[in-house]
Amino acid sequence: MKFGIVILIICFVAFSAFLLNSHEAHWQPTPLKLEVPKGWPKPYDIFANNPLTEEGFQLGRQLFYDGQLSKDGNFSCASCHQQFAAFVSFDHDLSHGFNDQFSTRNAPGLQNLAWVPLYHWDGGVNHIEMQALSPLTAPNEMAENIDSVLLKLRGSALYKKMFKKAFGSDSINSQRMLKALAQFVGTLVSADSKYDKVKRGEDSFNPAEAHGYQVFKSKCATCHTEPLFTDKSFRNTGLPVNDFLKDYGRMRITTEPSDLLKFRVPSLRNVAVTQPYLHDGRLYSVGQVIEHYRAGVQQSPTLDSSLRNGIEFTRLEKYDLIQFLSTLTDTSFLKNKRFSAPTGEMIQQNHTH
Amino acid sequence: MMKHKFVSTLLIFFFLVTSSFQIPPQQQSLEFAPVKIVFKNCVKGANIVLYDSSYVNPFGEEFTINKFRYYVSNLALKGHGKNFLRSNDFYLIDEKNPESQEIELEVPTGKYLSINFLLGVDSLHNVSGAQSGALDPINDMFWTWNTGYVMAKLEGNSPSSTIVNHKYEFHIGGFSGKYNVLKNIELKFPGKPFILKNKMSVEIVVEADINTWWQNPTDIKIADRPAINSPGIHALEISNNYAKMFTIKSVTCQP
Repeated sequence: MKFGIVILIICFVAFSAFLLNSHEAHWQPTPLKLEVPKGWPKPYDIFANNPLTEEGFQLGRQLFYDGQLSKDGNFSCASCHQQFAAFVSFDHDLSHGFNDQFSTRNAPGLQNLAWVPLYHWDGGVNHIEMQALSPLTAPNEMAENIDSVLLKLRGSALYKKMFKKAFGSDSINSQRMLKALAQFVGTLVSADSKYDKVKRGEDSFNPAEAHGYQVFKSKCATCHTEPLFTDKSFRNTGLPVNDFLKDYGRMRITTEPSDLLKFRVPSLRNVAVTQPYLHDGRLYSVGQVIEHYRAGVQQSPTLDSSLRNGIEFTRLEKYDLIQFLSTLTDTSFLKNKRFSAPTGEMIQQNHTH
Repeated sequence: MMKHKFVSTLLIFFFLVTSSFQIPPQQQSLEFAPVKIVFKNCVKGANIVLYDSSYVNPFGEEFTINKFRYYVSNLALKGHGKNFLRSNDFYLIDEKNPESQEIELEVPTGKYLSINFLLGVDSLHNVSGAQSGALDPINDMFWTWNTGYVMAKLEGNSPSSTIVNHKYEFHIGGFSGKYNVLKNIELKFPGKPFILKNKMSVEIVVEADINTWWQNPTDIKIADRPAINSPGIHALEISNNYAKMFTIKSVTCQP
């Protein structure tokens, strides 16, 4: 009897060992979950084919802050997407790229990306995993090609280790690189501003903010819909065509004349720290943007119907609206150490101006 | 009694182990034979020599070829009833890479009427994020600014071109809406159905003729339109032309 049990145990152990070896079960990454803030809509399933893990997130973070992803080593993703400015290029209408060139649009903030279906000002990118390819290969941005980036990453012991931790083997390819980057940028969630605290009953607006919130709800919320402060649409807001860039917006993607001069409605979260504004960064203050809607809207066939007559604001309304918009600044997001440049082993090269 | 219990436990255990290695049922009853499909690219029957050889299109415009690539997917051999094979793989046929032009399949024996495939990459794989293998964006068949695959690419130089370096560039894509360039191709076996027998080895040569790109139904002259680089009406027009580029040139059976 005892002998039989011993045999059984030996069989079981041998079989388990066989299973473990054949299924790479040694690799057990730590699962992560995208937390949905209370009261928010369901996010898009951007991680459907990309299970979120701590190791994947950390690899994405490492890649995001690594200048090696650019041709000359100077431009990491983070050089144009700065955390303290909700991941826009702070104080730059257009961002700097390879060989003293400029980007052709204002770098959009990276926050709450799981709640938008399309990326870029013109919605040209349909999946978060594909977004990084655009700045990486654009000759005026990071100016690299994928082969060359992968070659650099494959030469790094650190990346071999990190890819193995994230994906179970140290093979480094574009799919894994893009999925890891998506895990980092896709989990940058900003939902802890004063506005959010007020909504949760943890804080209250001062009278100016409270009045500004009323103004916002009656005059801005159609497009900048709560709680994400965007309705995800593309609209022509009556800006004159930029002489130099000749950027016609979403029409370039859809080829539909009805999309002429339409651009994404950006979220207003963290708007107080993301100047300058609009798709080409042409306006430097929130006040100027409000003034555009009050008195600067240019008529054109595709102008948004809600803006035909501009939007009326009294001076007080304008002032209080700005006070309210400042309550959308989420300091804990802007300073979250989890989202900042990794320290320790990594060699970091960042372009700063 | 104890011993009996022990033996039956062992038996159950070994049954569990072995049951996971069973061959799927459809493979037990069918016999398979190797079929090689060779994509042979040409211009009016003439072999392609990249960069150096010059060709003439139906409008008398001379051109060279620097790149010629296209995606083949949902590749299937179709016959009656059970004689059917569909591959879920994506193939990037690249004139520069001879290996890419040969596709080897294990096909159930039987009677076949046609080869069917999708010329391009289906819409699902255009909207599902980062892919690998033939669909890796590293293969330079992907638009980064307007997400989607270039389904077919033809590039070269031509004295008729009025743009930089006298080049012409057709990057043809678009997977949705009215400018969808995806083409379902059906190539019937010429003459009678082709019968695949056990232990046979078969090579099917499918010819892809660049001469079809320039007309029928829409004239595309290099002088008028040297670059088509984004989804839209012109990409659709040229895709309607090139949809007719394939013919089954030969079927060779080694018994």
